[in-house]
Amino acid sequence: MKNRMQRALADMICRERALDSSGVMGRFDDRAKLLATLVYLVAMLSTPIYRPSQLILFAIFPITMSAASDTDYLRIARRSLIVVPLAAVIGIFNVLYDRRPAMEIGTTVITMGWIGFVSIVLRAMLSVQALSILILNTGFRNICRAMQRLGMPPVLATQLLLLYRYAYVLIDEGLTMSRARDARSFGRRAYPLRIWGVMVGQLLARSACRSRAVYAAMLARGFDGSIPQCDARPCRWRLRDTALVAAWTIISAAIRLADPAGIIQTFRL
Amino acid sequence: MHMSDALISPTAAAVTGVVAAGLLATCLRRIRTDFDDGSAQAPSEYVIPLMGVMGAFVFAAQMLNFAIPGTGSSGHIVGGILLCAMLGTRAAFVTLSSVIMLQCLLFADGGLLALGCNIINMAAMSCLVAYPAVYRPIAGDGSSAGRIFAASILSSVVALELGAVAVVVETSLSGIAQLPPARFLAFMLPIHLLIGLGEGIATGSVLCAVRRYGMQVSSSSRPRGSIVAALVALAAAALMIGGVASWVASSDPDGLEWSIGNTAASEPIAAGRAHDVAESIRQSTAAMPDYDHSLAGVVGCVAVMAVVLIGSYLLRPRRKRT
Repeated sequence: MKNRMQRALADMICRERALDSSGVMGRFDDRAKLLATLVYLVAMLSTPIYRPSQLILFAIFPITMSAASDTDYLRIARRSLIVVPLAAVIGIFNVLYDRRPAMEIGTTVITMGWIGFVSIVLRAMLSVQALSILILNTGFRNICRAMQRLGMPPVLATQLLLLYRYAYVLIDEGLTMSRARDARSFGRRAYPLRIWGVMVGQLLARSACRSRAVYAAMLARGFDGSIPQCDARPCRWRLRDTALVAAWTIISAAIRLADPAGIIQTFRL
Repeated sequence: MHMSDALISPTAAAVTGVVAAGLLATCLRRIRTDFDDGSAQAPSEYVIPLMGVMGAFVFAAQMLNFAIPGTGSSGHIVGGILLCAMLGTRAAFVTLSSVIMLQCLLFADGGLLALGCNIINMAAMSCLVAYPAVYRPIAGDGSSAGRIFAASILSSVVALELGAVAVVVETSLSGIAQLPPARFLAFMLPIHLLIGLGEGIATGSVLCAVRRYGMQVSSSSRPRGSIVAALVALAAAALMIGGVASWVASSDPDGLEWSIGNTAASEPIAAGRAHDVAESIRQSTAAMPDYDHSLAGVVGCVAVMAVVLIGSYLLRPRRKRT
């Protein structure tokens, strides 16, 4: 329990510190990066699952985006392996239910179900990689600001930013409570429900007290329902932002419409 | 229950995204009336920090595990019904949606395109359906711990089961997974029944603890409806689940489709001499003669990606290290 909270807190702090806008991708507007990721995701996810070769080509987005932002792609790829078990649970049913033969390797027949399984796993990994790179390059606050500038209601953006801010505080609060409890109950990993209910209830009571203090402090600072934007980074849409979105739209459409297996077949004959 | 992008089609993502955005916009507009208690302070100014802190509470509480007796495993709270009891339906829906967005944008938990699906499956089903239709009539004015406990369990089970049905419908309409919807439903419903029971007991424990601390439970206060209304809602939910189950059950092939399939499979397409000659030429000239062209495509694409990977890392802009 304690480790999980510590890991989450450390992960959040680590992401915040690792956020660096000095690379090539840092020169682009956050909206452009968000839109490029969305275009890529739509194109990649619209690919029929029986075309794994196209899905492999879609790896061009996370590879080049991570290289452009000087992020280690292999670290991102390793991180995306976390979703493999979840995708595999659903994908394995394709193997069981779709036994149509698709190809032969020597005497082994590969069924369409296996191709569907591999495609589902690839889709899950590629979408997590694209999202991870966006988060690492842009940061949660800047993504919220970008979504707000793209039309998300300011109230929701404010709510998300406050939630992010107070997640640190309340995880810390929960960690303090669980540390105190651990000190009194040697070797227990999870608590009995009755004790857990009291602990979470106490955390809730502390949260409510904290929210009243937060509200009073915010009113004292002139809070009027929205958090003012005070970013150091400029947020002007430039030509290069249009170029980034256009380039990824063209590349994604080209990969989506291409038939790599057919092209290779043409060269083989 | 977080759905990944891998399981949904862009069309399903767009439809659920529009529905979720519409629900969020409506709730944000109407939150003011939920908290309008006649005080001088503008309610939305107070509600937003409260929602932020309560969202952070749910986020933190999800990391506190409780032991499930007799199983050796542990569980945690999801928080939909709990948030509703503290904030009211609309504010809870917005708060839980923002928690789902935070999980997606911070930990890549659930897909970016699947956000609409996740908001509908988890936030809308618990805050906009189960809480007003089941919890509120059963819990009444919140004066009885037993009623709070029963309401928590029943509403959590309904929320989780409806969420599971929604996952099956969205996945089936996307057409990515080949698992027949009826079997998928038979796989999902029992699991989510158990999760719902756990979630309900946990929510009931917290709400009873909160009640002991003297905090107000069910801040949107006025109990609406009755036990009869709750039973009607439960029956409607059961009918809906049954209706979906019968609809998806009919997705198995009928007799005509089955017989056509058998007939088509039993008659091979006749091959002529020209086909044989072309096949022998192809076999003698092919780089990978024993492999199907789909496999060749995969191998070729992997090779291209390897070149892109090496090339992009050789040509990547180096950042100055200080």
